[in-house]
Amino acid sequence: MTTESTPYVAPDQNDPAVRKGQEDRLREVWKPPSGWFFRWTDVNNNRIGVWYTLTAFGFMLFAGVLALIMRTQLAVPNNDLVTANTFNQLFTLHGSMMMFLFAVPMFEAVSIILLPQLLGARDLPFPRLSGFGYWSFLIGGVFVSGSIFFDAAPDGGWFMYPPLTTRTDLSGLGADIWMLGLSFIEVSSVAAAVELIVGVLKCRPPGMRLNLMPLYAWYILVVAVMILFAFPPLIAGDVLFEMERLLNWPFFNAEKGGDPLLWQHLFWIFGHPEVYIVFLPSIALFAMLIPTFAQRHLLGYPWIVLAAVGTAFLSFGLWVHHMFTTGLPKISLAFFAAASEAVAIPTGVQIFVFIATLWAGNVKKSTPLLYASGSLAVFVIGGLTGVMVAVAPFDWQAHDTYFIVAHLHYVLIGGTLLPLFAGLYYYWPLVTGKKLSDRLGRIAFWIMFVGMNLTFFPMHLSGLLGMPRRVFTYPEELGIGGLNLASTAGSYLFALGVLIVCIDLALSPRRPKAPRNPWNAGTLEWLALPDDEDWGIRSVPLIESRYPIWDQKNFVQKVDEGRFFLPDAEEMRRESIITTVLDARPLQVIRLGTPSVKPMMTAVALAGVFILTTYHLYLLSALSGIATLACVLWWLWTGTAEIPEKPTKHIGHGIEVPLYTSGPSAPGWWAMFITMMADATAFSGLVFGYFFFWTIHTNFPPTGAGLDGPGVFWPMVALALTLTGWAATVGAREVHRRGNVAAGRALLVVGIVTTLSSLFAGLAGPWVSGMDPELHVYPAIVWTLAIWTAVHAAIGVIMQTYTLARSLAGKMTPVYDADLRNITVYHHFLALTGIVTFCTIGLFPGVA
Amino acid sequence: MRKVKFLPVAMCLPILAACNRHQSTLAPFGEEADKVRSIAIVLVVGSVILAAGLALLMRHAMRAPEGRLTHKGGMKLVLWLGGIGPSILLLGLLLYALPAMRPIPVADTDLRIGVEGEQFWWRVRYAPPGGPLVESANELRLPVGRTVELSLRGTDVIHSFWVPGLAGKMDMIPGRTNRLIVRATKAGTYRGVCAEFCGLGHALMAFDVVAMEPAAFERWLAAQARPATPTASPGARLFASYGCSGCHSVRGIGPVAKIGPDLTHFGSRATLAAGVLPMTHANIAGFVRDPGKTKPGVRMPAFPQMSAAEADQIASYLQGLK
Amino acid sequence: MTTSKDNRKHWARDLKVTLWTLILPPTIWAVHFMFCYLWVAVTCAKSPTPGTALNGFPLATLIATIVALLGIVAAGYIARVQSQTPGDPAPHDEGTAIDRLRFLALSTRLLAGLSFVAVIFTALPVIVFGDCR
Repeated sequence: MTTESTPYVAPDQNDPAVRKGQEDRLREVWKPPSGWFFRWTDVNNNRIGVWYTLTAFGFMLFAGVLALIMRTQLAVPNNDLVTANTFNQLFTLHGSMMMFLFAVPMFEAVSIILLPQLLGARDLPFPRLSGFGYWSFLIGGVFVSGSIFFDAAPDGGWFMYPPLTTRTDLSGLGADIWMLGLSFIEVSSVAAAVELIVGVLKCRPPGMRLNLMPLYAWYILVVAVMILFAFPPLIAGDVLFEMERLLNWPFFNAEKGGDPLLWQHLFWIFGHPEVYIVFLPSIALFAMLIPTFAQRHLLGYPWIVLAAVGTAFLSFGLWVHHMFTTGLPKISLAFFAAASEAVAIPTGVQIFVFIATLWAGNVKKSTPLLYASGSLAVFVIGGLTGVMVAVAPFDWQAHDTYFIVAHLHYVLIGGTLLPLFAGLYYYWPLVTGKKLSDRLGRIAFWIMFVGMNLTFFPMHLSGLLGMPRRVFTYPEELGIGGLNLASTAGSYLFALGVLIVCIDLALSPRRPKAPRNPWNAGTLEWLALPDDEDWGIRSVPLIESRYPIWDQKNFVQKVDEGRFFLPDAEEMRRESIITTVLDARPLQVIRLGTPSVKPMMTAVALAGVFILTTYHLYLLSALSGIATLACVLWWLWTGTAEIPEKPTKHIGHGIEVPLYTSGPSAPGWWAMFITMMADATAFSGLVFGYFFFWTIHTNFPPTGAGLDGPGVFWPMVALALTLTGWAATVGAREVHRRGNVAAGRALLVVGIVTTLSSLFAGLAGPWVSGMDPELHVYPAIVWTLAIWTAVHAAIGVIMQTYTLARSLAGKMTPVYDADLRNITVYHHFLALTGIVTFCTIGLFPGVA
Repeated sequence: MRKVKFLPVAMCLPILAACNRHQSTLAPFGEEADKVRSIAIVLVVGSVILAAGLALLMRHAMRAPEGRLTHKGGMKLVLWLGGIGPSILLLGLLLYALPAMRPIPVADTDLRIGVEGEQFWWRVRYAPPGGPLVESANELRLPVGRTVELSLRGTDVIHSFWVPGLAGKMDMIPGRTNRLIVRATKAGTYRGVCAEFCGLGHALMAFDVVAMEPAAFERWLAAQARPATPTASPGARLFASYGCSGCHSVRGIGPVAKIGPDLTHFGSRATLAAGVLPMTHANIAGFVRDPGKTKPGVRMPAFPQMSAAEADQIASYLQGLK
Repeated sequence: MTTSKDNRKHWARDLKVTLWTLILPPTIWAVHFMFCYLWVAVTCAKSPTPGTALNGFPLATLIATIVALLGIVAAGYIARVQSQTPGDPAPHDEGTAIDRLRFLALSTRLLAGLSFVAVIFTALPVIVFGDCR
């Protein structure tokens, strides 16, 4: 891999002039775009992360105000401040916004800011994807939350149980806004999860083996993987839901063979992991700040990994505990009660790890630590009531009462909100270079802490005294007026605390700069200077410890003087190092995306698809879809898999790595693989639907006009074509890799033709038998599986055509073949989807 | 933390004294609710002990000087208090709580009552073994000491049947029939509510529950089975001419109609509009003219053209249906 | 695997602990959990009356539980052997291949412990319930 012509001479880092030259080049390369519009096309994680955080914070304040209105309405019995209609919109939007527009995006936003810093990377692997995620989030969020000003907000509760929400005579536009607006945001959440996973696995600095990874990165990895498996079932549910609302396909309509419980399963398979998705990142913040304030290494690092991974798994076995009262067999409930108790074990482990660390260390009292310990106290109460409601008989009483409202707010305030405030006080100097006021912070903490307890503690009692959830009023005779008044008073107190934090933030620009690393922390992110440069880190360090700033000699100085890796930007490109998963050995230098308007345009176009569909403007929506496709192709064609000007690059210390890789060592391949895992999970949600309907019906599939299945012939033809298309694609990759470009192109053409034919053959089954999806749930679910597979085949054809075009345009060669390798991953999953779909709809009726 | 945590509890004590006895999980009148209350007490006491222990430990940890706990000691703490301790405790909790999930056994000779949740009221059908089917609405009567099997269904959307003093709640889901087996232990008048959000009137969907001595219950059921006595009151005529009988059955007088609540023995109930208003003449008259005013989202239409006098007459007629 | 002539080498030490083997024990829990839940859910959803007995289920659970526990113990045993690979003592926070290996092995061992407990929890209901009510 050495260039023979001119021997490489490493720059002399002792020479200040050399360092100055490197800094100037880095500064020029990482310069943010300017101009009133173009400044918003920035994709640097420093800026996207901050926008993202501020937007999510704004949505949190908005949803908080909605809660205050609700508490005011409930202050006294039989109050008439707001109507039932408004109240239903308030609680639906409050819950939905806090979950979808605050908790999850906030975790992703904070991670976008922190992760590259923690990993000593210059940016995340796909900066433009971050930009796309942000703009999608902003547009979707404003669309959903703004609906309340038009009295059109969703009003079916954040869980949106059908048939109340699918019957168009019982629910209006709000249900579509919820379903389509939030689906859009879910897509962007999954995109961010893909980026974070690749970031943690592939973008660590050299030497940062798995056992040296900051715990925050471990948690991000676990949580992002959870998002990957938790959100897609909800997306599958959303698909079925909108098919019922817009096309009258009766998935949840019991009169036509559907079942409202299917939605509950799909929703809570998402909904319970969701709780841990928003809780674990907060614990991750603790895992960063507690060692700092104990001034020692975290005690029990593997225990934290155990807890994070264990929680992630167990949290997928809890969903039915939200359905304890749906009349499922008691033994089924018991399995979930058992898993719900088991998940308390890893949670307890984490708490004891923190206690042990504080015990062993020299505790420095500080505002962030005050927030952290306060939130642990709140969370412990929520956790204990969680163990209580996991006991099914107790839950039969507590379910859907204010007891649960109390429980979930203790968990979410103690497990998400207060930890985020701890993180805010801890990391504010990292982002702005200034500390927040310790005094105001402490005052705000105590006000919030008292307010929080005063609001939610009485709710345990009002629930047990018979107050159901989601009621806009309650009768005086229940005797819970006093408790409710206390809750209302507490909520205003809590809001006052939040206000003080906001004032503290507003005063920040007038405060002096803090010193670098003001808390004397040991982890990489604190390399940031108060006057931060946009390049992220001066040189990418070699890591030999979990707390390199504490443990590695002259570490900060060596980083600053560019004595580690990649201290320069000789070719004036944004670059970062890709390393191996287990041991972080350097593999590649990637060129990162630069500021561009493409992510924003793609987000706008995709938003058009969702928003226009809400208003039943299908033609415009289809046009928007075409525009989205065009934007994506344009983005990919101009910005990815670029053939570098030279094959390798020196990154310092005698290490030379390639500038282009393809296949399993490349981040793009991982991104495709991970995305397809999410896609396969969504698909399995639909397949689950098919078999769910099989279990609840004695004769499934049914027979009759419009009900007869797709037969065996067409599904088997489609299956054969899908597999041929797959084989052709794999074959194209192999012959192309061996240098036979022409044969590769020919096989791609075969792939295009067969995959396209499989699309039509797959739809021919239900079409030829005249299956009427409005008649019964069986034709509806068969059509859904067939259409899902057809859409994926269509995307597969687009990918094959794109790759062929890349080859013809000279942008892909046997050495530089990332496009072909990545689409092969897609086609593996497409083949799997085809096998499952066509065997299910074609062969299963024969054995059912 | 400790200071503040118990403040709300202390504050609630005087309020608790004034709390209701008829819609509370803490004042059970049924076997299942009683069982759950005992479990709840165990859980609460256990939780308080654990929370207090953790708070003390946390305080100690924050104050301990550096190095007091070694790495090995810390690992032991996490293993025993974080891992093994909770595992044993939770195993015990499961062994204690799982058997409590077993339903009360039910025999073929036991009374069966079908309850259907509709937006926003309750249809109640008594099916005594060997006796006739008796339909009523918005009121559930139970014989004390007898096992009763409730068959719960939702007709339009999902509702949830919850009588806090009797037993835990059970959802009423369209297309499914859920069973809840209960046994009342104490005679009295209680209240149940819908616990699953079901639309605009969800907060105003309640019903009365009357637990009676078995003999009194038998007499009451026999009376309910009888049709109403025909009268020639002006209210009865108005009831028909305003089309009320298109939705409401008054057995023995009007046609059979299944859309709204059965009103055959309407006057014998304690409340109207599904447990929302006391059964007074004025309340009936007001509700008949404009039900939406009391109950948002109600399916019954308003009758703006109905005069106050007419509403009065209808109210008198309905109140007379004992 | 056991034919190694070198006695100092242990067959379990030759296996590679990676991120994939780390998640093996909880995956076994998940499979066991889904097995129990799906058996009951499908049987009961397909049965005409709520009192339908779950014939054969207790035995199936017993076998599945023993198999799952054996799998978890095996994973834990391999991890234990690997975590005793010679090197410096815990905490495994050095930037060496051995410490990385020992860290992953220890985490796997801990996860095996948690999964063991969780599998037992999952099997408990079968003692209490025998039918679909």
